[in-house]
Amino acid sequence: MPEPTVIDSATDSIPKVHDEVSVGANLEFQRKWWRFEHIVWSVFFLILLADLLGAFGRGWLAKAHRSTPDQALTVDYERIARASTPSILSLHFSPPAIRDNHIQVFLSDSIIQQLGAQRISPQPVVSAAGEGGITYTFAATRAPAIVQISLQPQFPGSHAFRIQLANEPAIQASTFVLP
Amino acid sequence: MPTILRAIIGYFVLLLVVRVLKRRAGAQMTLFEFVLIFLIGGVVILSTVGEDRSVTNCTCAVIAVALIHRTLAWAKSKNPRLGALLDGTPLIIINKGEWQQEVAEGMYLRHEDLEAAARSANIPRVEDIDYAILERNGSISVFPKEQ
Repeated sequence: MPEPTVIDSATDSIPKVHDEVSVGANLEFQRKWWRFEHIVWSVFFLILLADLLGAFGRGWLAKAHRSTPDQALTVDYERIARASTPSILSLHFSPPAIRDNHIQVFLSDSIIQQLGAQRISPQPVVSAAGEGGITYTFAATRAPAIVQISLQPQFPGSHAFRIQLANEPAIQASTFVLP
Repeated sequence: MPTILRAIIGYFVLLLVVRVLKRRAGAQMTLFEFVLIFLIGGVVILSTVGEDRSVTNCTCAVIAVALIHRTLAWAKSKNPRLGALLDGTPLIIINKGEWQQEVAEGMYLRHEDLEAAARSANIPRVEDIDYAILERNGSISVFPKEQ
C-alpha cells in the first residue's frame, strides 16, 4: 500500500494570499481570459449577423438565380444550403419554353442524388432517365409556368448541377451544403 | 460515424459557450440560468442525433461524449494549464477586507451575491469578511475576520 502524501506548508504548491489562504488565483491569466472572451463574443456576434444575412443558408445572401439568354428558363435556387434541411429549387418558364403545350427540361443526376430531390410539383407527364440525368416533360398551358422541386441534401460539400431546356443552352450552378 | 463527429463538435461548441459565459452559469443557478442551460442543451441534442433517433445512435452519441469528457478530465489532471483554460482559476473578490473592483466587474458580480455567500457562512455583514473567493465552480467561499 503506498504511503499517504502529507501536505504541509512546505510541500503545498498552491500560492497563498498574504501567507494565509491557499487560493491559487491567477489574475494575470484571468485578464488574458477576459480579453479572449471579448474576442469570442465578437466572433459570436459576427456569426449571428452572417446568419441573419443568410451567409449560412436560408437568407438573402443564400438566394441566387440564373437564366438562359432568352429568359425562357429562370432558375431560383439556394447557393448555400444546410444538410438535412429542406430547400426549394424553382424553375420559371416563359413563352419560348412551352412547345405544343409541353415543357421538356433536363435535370442532372446531382439534383436527385447529392441535393436530395424529394418531390416535384406539378408531377411530370413523362420522366426519362439518361445522359447523366432525368428529362422531365410537363404539361403546360400558357406562360408563366413554375415547377418547384423540394430538396433536402444529406451530405455537406459543393454540389454542381445542370438544368437544360430542349434546344437551349444549359444553366450550370452549384450549391454549397453546410453541415 | 457522423453522429460521433457531431457529438464531438457539439461538445466543444458547448464547452466554449459555457466557458465564455460568466461563471455563475454553473453554480448558484437561478431560474433564468436553468432556462439557458436547458435551451442550449436541447438545441445541441437536435443536431447531434439528427434524424436518426434510434437507441443505437443515441447510445453511440452518449458514449462519445462520455469518452471526450473523461479524456479531458485526464488531460486536466496532467496539465494544470489546461485545467485553468477549461475550468478557470479561483478569483479573490475580497482581499484582506478590500473589495476587488476589477474582478467583480470582470465577473459581473453583484454585491448581493456576496451578501448571500456571507449569510450562508453565518456572517451577518459583508464588512466582517476577511477573504472572499470566487471558486472555479461559481460558488463563493468566505472567511470571516478574526475577532
